[in-house]
Order: sequence, then C-alpha cells, then structure tokens
Amino acid sequence: MPSTFVKNVVQNGIGRYVCQLQRVKLTFCKTAGTSRGVRDFVENHLLDFTNNNPGVVVYLQPKRRQPAYMYAEYLNGYKEKFCIDNMNKDQICKWIETYRSRSGVPIMRMRKQWHTDTPSVQGVWHPFMFKDPQINRKTFPNEELSRFLPAEPSATEQVLKMFEEQKKEIPSQGPTKKLHSKDDVLQSK
Amino acid sequence: MAYNRVLQWSVMTRSWWLYDAENQCAFKSARKIVDYLQGKHKPIYHPLSDIGDHVVVINTKLVAMRDDRWRKFTYSHHTGYAGGFSRASAWRLHDMDPTKVMHKACYQRIKGNLLRPNIMRRLHLFPDDNVPDEIMANISDQIQQIQIVPKQLEDYSQLERDNFPQIFEWPEKEMMPKKKQPELLQTEDT
Repeated sequence: MPSTFVKNVVQNGIGRYVCQLQRVKLTFCKTAGTSRGVRDFVENHLLDFTNNNPGVVVYLQPKRRQPAYMYAEYLNGYKEKFCIDNMNKDQICKWIETYRSRSGVPIMRMRKQWHTDTPSVQGVWHPFMFKDPQINRKTFPNEELSRFLPAEPSATEQVLKMFEEQKKEIPSQGPTKKLHSKDDVLQSK
Repeated sequence: MAYNRVLQWSVMTRSWWLYDAENQCAFKSARKIVDYLQGKHKPIYHPLSDIGDHVVVINTKLVAMRDDRWRKFTYSHHTGYAGGFSRASAWRLHDMDPTKVMHKACYQRIKGNLLRPNIMRRLHLFPDDNVPDEIMANISDQIQQIQIVPKQLEDYSQLERDNFPQIFEWPEKEMMPKKKQPELLQTEDT
C-alpha cells in the first residue's frame, strides 16, 4: 500500500456537495452461481440506487463465465476495480454505498497521524550547534581540545595539593626542611 | 528560504574530525572513533541515513596497549588456500605497518555488513603528524582523547623537579644509574 502524509483539502472542503463518483460498471454472468448476488442486486436495488443518484452513470455488462466485478470512476480520473464475486445483494449494497461516498482519492497508509508547519520550534540540529565559536580560530592539531580531562585528580595531584595546604598552615616555619639521608629520617623520629 | 536550504546542507554534510592517537589504547580509541565514522554522535542518527563523518587519526605509530598485549595479542589471517594460515603478534604487525593496529581495531568494531567498507573509507590513518594540507584544511574539530598522555621525566622542567615535595634526598651512591637509550638496529645491507 502506498504511503502518504496528512494533507489539507483544497478550499478547506467548504462548498456545495458534488458526488465524486461519476460512473459504475457492473460485470457479471447471467447463469453463474458466483454472480447470483449481483443479479439479485440488479433486480431489487439498482433502480433505487439510480433514482437516488441521478449524477452516477451505471452500466451493466453481462460476461459469460466470468467473475463479477465493479468498476468505479471518479471525477478526478481515479478508477478502481473491485471484485464482488460470491457476495450477496446486501453486501453489494453496502460496497456500492461505500464507493459512492468516497472522494476519489486513493486510500493510502498515513505515515504520520498529525501535520504541523513548524515541526521543530527550537530549530533543526546542525554540526555547529552548541559549539564554541572560538573553534574557528584554532589551528589543528590542538592540544587543548585533544587532551583527556579526568573527572577526579590523580594521586600525585592530591599529594601536591596536600603539600600546598600544609605550607599554608605553618607559614612561620617556612618551607619544610629537607632531610639528606635515611639516617636523618630515622634520627628525626 | 535560502537559509533553510543552506541549513539542510549543513545538517547532512560530512564534517572532518581529528584524533591524536599518541599513547592512547587502540581498542578503546576505536570504540570512540567508530561512533563518529557511523554518525552515531549526531542527534539525527538513523541507521538508514548515511551521515557518518570523516576521522583523521594521527600518530598511530604511538598507540598504546595495556599490560603485555603487544606481545600476547595476535592477529590471524588466512589466504583461503591450503596452508595459508598465518598469525602475527601485535608488535610485529605494528612493526610492519604502524597504521594496521588502529585500522583493524576500528574495522572489528563496526558491524559486518555491506556498509562497512564505505565507513572504513572515511577513516584516514597517518603514522605520524605529517598530514597532507588538503586533508588538514577540511578539519573542523578534534575528538577528545580517552586517557591521559603520561609525562616522562624529561618532560618536566628542572624547576618543577626541584619544587616537587620529597621527604629526603637520596644520596648519590644509592641512586639508580640513568638508563642508556637502546641503539637503533641497523637494517642497511652491507
């Protein structure tokens, strides 16, 4: 089945009613059992249909040993063939009423059940959206853009930070005295 | 109206990214690069819309592997003929072609379908940072690396070394002698 999007009717669909169905042709066999329903329809209901719809031309075409078909033609040039084989007269009444009330636009699958002229309020995404304009002035390869930024500081950075804080706590003593060997460390303890 | 038309060109265009593979794990880098090659970093991504970007990878000669994977990780190949099987360790493959490890890492990351050859064509690998100017002119942004590039002792200045806190100074006799740089193998035929 072909697919389509929701479209608006021209002139908003307001105006006088014109029956879009222009022509109906019924082909059936005069003797076959599969065309029994069509023959019943022709005998009982066809004249009522033509009286109620004077704008619709109805042709009857007997064809020997052929399946029964209904051919509908619309004002916009659309034609449709529909098999009414093995149907009873009530079913044919319903189907012919369905075809009479159609607009002549082919039945298509709707890809979307809605339509809007502004699909995106914030605008369509493009590669430079949310990007710093400064990037235009940078030369590549750029170390600043490339460098990995860890979420947490490394152990070395944490030690250095602790050392800086210790220096702030005891500013009077100045920088910590460096010990010159393992023996000095042991002596200090 | 003209703005909308240009905007659409901009949305569907392929942008060029640069990635510096220096000291980066080849497999973890591939995981990131492949997303850019397939366009998965874009909010408009759809598997049927072909919107992958180009990625230029430099310094593939300097890619890293964890532990002793250069020695243990192997790449297999079969020519299709009898006895055509061959296997090479990662370091040996890297020695033969410094872009091969990165190429294979990306190739294996992409789903094996008919799109893969065309996706791989948008990956441009260079063993060092010598990239032709016509490729470099396309680049509009750089991909962030996936791990910290470790610094060597030589990279620190003397001032930084002196200011680094230490509990005591090692005496000269207990210090390790400086390692000699291994001499490069001479491959010239004599």
